[in-house]
Amino acid sequence: MEIAADINNNIVTDAWTEGLLFRGFEKMLEGRNPFDAVYFTQRICGICSTAHSIASTLALEDALGVVVSQQGRYLRDFIHGCEFLQNHIRHFYQYTAPDFIKLPEGNTLFETDHNDFRLPKEKNDRIVRHYFDSLEYSRNAHKMLAILGGKAPHNHGVFIGGITTQATPEKIARLRSLLMNIKQFICDSMIPDAYTVAEYYQEYFKIGRGYGNLLTFGCFDGYEKLGTLYVNPSTYSGGRTMKLNPGEITENIYSSWYMAKSETYTPFQIIPEPDMKKSDAYSWVKAPRYRGLPYEVGPLARMWLCGKYRNGISTMDRTLARVLEAKKIANIMLFLLDKLIPGVDVQKEYEVPRSAYGAGLIDTTRGALGHWIRIENQVISLYQIITPSAWNLSTRDRDNIPGPGEKAIIGTMIRNSDAPVELGRIIRSFDPCVSCATHVYSKGNLIKTMQVVP
Amino acid sequence: MNQTSNSCSNFSTRLETVSVLVHRAIDAIQQKTIKKRNLIWLELTGCSGNIISLLDGANPDFKSIACQLVNFIYDNSLMASEGEAALEKLFSMADGDYILAVEGAVSTKDNGMYNIIGRWKGQPVTAYEAVKKFGEQAGHVITVGTCASDGGISAARPNPAECVGIQNLLNRRVIKLPGCPCHPDWFMGTLAYLMLFNEPELDARQRPLMFYSTLIHDICPRRPYFNQGIFASKPGEKTCMFKLGCRGPVTRVDCPIRKWNDRVNWPIGDDSPCIGCAMFGFPDKMEPFISYDTT
Repeated sequence: MEIAADINNNIVTDAWTEGLLFRGFEKMLEGRNPFDAVYFTQRICGICSTAHSIASTLALEDALGVVVSQQGRYLRDFIHGCEFLQNHIRHFYQYTAPDFIKLPEGNTLFETDHNDFRLPKEKNDRIVRHYFDSLEYSRNAHKMLAILGGKAPHNHGVFIGGITTQATPEKIARLRSLLMNIKQFICDSMIPDAYTVAEYYQEYFKIGRGYGNLLTFGCFDGYEKLGTLYVNPSTYSGGRTMKLNPGEITENIYSSWYMAKSETYTPFQIIPEPDMKKSDAYSWVKAPRYRGLPYEVGPLARMWLCGKYRNGISTMDRTLARVLEAKKIANIMLFLLDKLIPGVDVQKEYEVPRSAYGAGLIDTTRGALGHWIRIENQVISLYQIITPSAWNLSTRDRDNIPGPGEKAIIGTMIRNSDAPVELGRIIRSFDPCVSCATHVYSKGNLIKTMQVVP
Repeated sequence: MNQTSNSCSNFSTRLETVSVLVHRAIDAIQQKTIKKRNLIWLELTGCSGNIISLLDGANPDFKSIACQLVNFIYDNSLMASEGEAALEKLFSMADGDYILAVEGAVSTKDNGMYNIIGRWKGQPVTAYEAVKKFGEQAGHVITVGTCASDGGISAARPNPAECVGIQNLLNRRVIKLPGCPCHPDWFMGTLAYLMLFNEPELDARQRPLMFYSTLIHDICPRRPYFNQGIFASKPGEKTCMFKLGCRGPVTRVDCPIRKWNDRVNWPIGDDSPCIGCAMFGFPDKMEPFISYDTT
């Protein structure tokens, strides 16, 4: 991914988020066995593979009319929680922290091309220590995932009905022990470290706001007996919180390298064909919209919509919401762990219907993820995927309305246009699950290209 | 759950191989009997799941690789520098000595324009060009994961981005470590072996025999069920997964003993069938992954 930005007199006057990797998963899925989608779609993203297995399973359950048992949900949602923790810990330490702290010299991996490091040595060193300590905890989050899911990345456990295997007293005890350690690291290190960074980079509470339109498909919500543990499907715009209506979701390809008989469509309607020769297009990322408007998704949207975080909408607020969410997720997981009953087999023999359709909408690490499946003659006839990063890094639509990431960059004051660190920091606060780079233009001339990592 | 179900002492020795190799290589570097090598890691058309899997490595872990075993010159996800500064580090190695690790397949459609990995001197650099340039000159090339090895899921029909494995582009031998993802041990063990002794013994598909010599089916702890004709009719059962479409009988790799994520579990241990993710032809030739009607 690349970001192109026009900078005039140290102000970003325009910006474009450009996805430069095309794979075509939706086309590949056509004609395949519907059950295979659960393992197949995980390969969309090795960083958040579990999220796709869950959205895919939900879509299949909707299509097959399968009602999941409560134990099935607890097991599956626990696995989903593991993926949240793995992602949030890695994103904060391996991807966000290097923007603000000085990593040890003498290692090529840690060299930077700017010098905007403001933390006093003692505080900087503490976070550097945690950069390395964190590797154990993110790894252990995946270890928990594998205890119930077989392996990670690309688990085998998540499936129609919940998960393939059962809880045992030994697994529950092991998960509790690993989870308690991870939670302690989040509370004692990650949250204080994020606030330390925030203290020295105060202006980031004022930049990278974007539209302030927030959306969630819901997460750890609507349990039969437990109610909602986190956040219900909802949206926030212009100061108002509303219930989400999935029928209002559309996607368009005005600025994306695709062709279709209609440039705006609903998820069940069209899978556009790739066309890199299309003029005026600049990205492989499409443009999802809700009620025709761009919406931001992710931890800040969720923490805002559940009412637990209302400090503001900005670059730094996204980072704080992410680390605070990690603690919330760990607590939900501890709660779910207590509800697990050993030895409950949630699997049945399922039959592929001749024709059916279903949607799986779920909020995952980076935000709202949707899978839409249509089955004809017992094989997949249409598979639509809208990822969280497509919401956040969406392209301009017909009215030349920028996507949320583009909007967050436009208007930003750049201190030093030779080293515009602001752009990378803003985009990384969205936790884009694609690697990306930034081009900075001044009066039409390329002055800088920056890589923005996932 | 934490121990291998196979008690054969040969298996436990094999499990120690990686840690022994890596620590021996690190010791040799400290004693200056071998040199620390440069490592370039390219993420191409794929999911970045192999670098994440490497971060999941437990014994040895990522820190010992990145800080003690190699000079990690370039990895798009983990490096702190950005854009041209990052590519500068990559291109500075052009005439140097380095080991190249590649994850992801290479898109060949429209001269590689379906995957641009960055910009160098203002021009887009395609994954295709990068593999050509850095692949031919590398001391060794390791393809990490099934996409880089054989095209994998990135080349699944109808192969919309016209993806191929790395070998297709290079006039030299590559070492293939298929698996979706590649197990961190397979990569670290191969890397340490290369540094200590040069190329490990490979099979006809260019995979190191130390990891890929054994058929899953032959060492599967559920093999006795197969022998007695006791088959699972759905996931979640504790018997043989053969009739659900298990690909253990065709897949050569050491999953049943090495397991995943600090050896806590593996797909069949999770009561689900093996889907042959380390096999040539994955996914198209390994589907359907789960079927209830194979009898």
